[in-house]
Amino acid sequence: MSTLVTANVSDGTTTVGTEYVVNGSAKAWVNFFGGDPFAVRNSFNASSISDNGVGDYLTNYVNSFSAADYACSTAAYSTSRGNAMSWPSNASSSVNRIYNDAGVVIDSAVVQATSHGDLA
Amino acid sequence: MTHGHLWDRLAEAKSRLEPVQSKYRVIYENPEDLDAPAAVMCPDPNWMACALAGGVLPAVDTYLRDRDVPDGQPKEHPYAATIGPMSEEEAIEYLVLKDCPRSVVEYKGNRTILKIVPIEMIPTDRSFRNAWRIAQ
Repeated sequence: MSTLVTANVSDGTTTVGTEYVVNGSAKAWVNFFGGDPFAVRNSFNASSISDNGVGDYLTNYVNSFSAADYACSTAAYSTSRGNAMSWPSNASSSVNRIYNDAGVVIDSAVVQATSHGDLA
Repeated sequence: MTHGHLWDRLAEAKSRLEPVQSKYRVIYENPEDLDAPAAVMCPDPNWMACALAGGVLPAVDTYLRDRDVPDGQPKEHPYAATIGPMSEEEAIEYLVLKDCPRSVVEYKGNRTILKIVPIEMIPTDRSFRNAWRIAQ
């Protein structure tokens, strides 16, 4: 078995670093503290996050998607069981919302979100 | 002259720029929903590094024009020319125009619905988070 070693892969128009092919890539991801402090830990292709209230966050993208039909998912770390949900707000931002088992929104210590889809 | 794709520039920039945590937050209220709590916007540290370094981000006007482009149609901002370095204050103003709702940016009423504040001014007690409002 042979190994092809190259830094970039190109289709003639678009070039991407091989690390994205090897490691896989979301078009955007963000990991942030959802309470106090409210701050981004690490990310890619996010321009800002907004805290819209308890357990209610918005991720804004630097490079937006082509349409609001991309797929996004959210996970959260909290002291209680619950659900983390997300959906495209529009092509350039997505909603991240955290609920407890009773369906009540709650702050999360850490929120992780990824988005996959076609970029603009 | 080609500037490449914005997403590729972001990937390259992330490999060489140290993230910069902003000392500012943007607080805004939605003039279309007066019962909603004030929102707190936090600049992304990797985005801030790109803004301060220059040569990565497009002009904010391209985002504003793209707001009117229907879904699925080609957008301007991924392929637009890059702009030079910004100060942190200029970067925050850019972010307000780009990421705050249009209803907030274009608000003409008498209430103060948007403020740029140092992080220290954000309350640390979130017990009454959904009651946060901008003091008038």
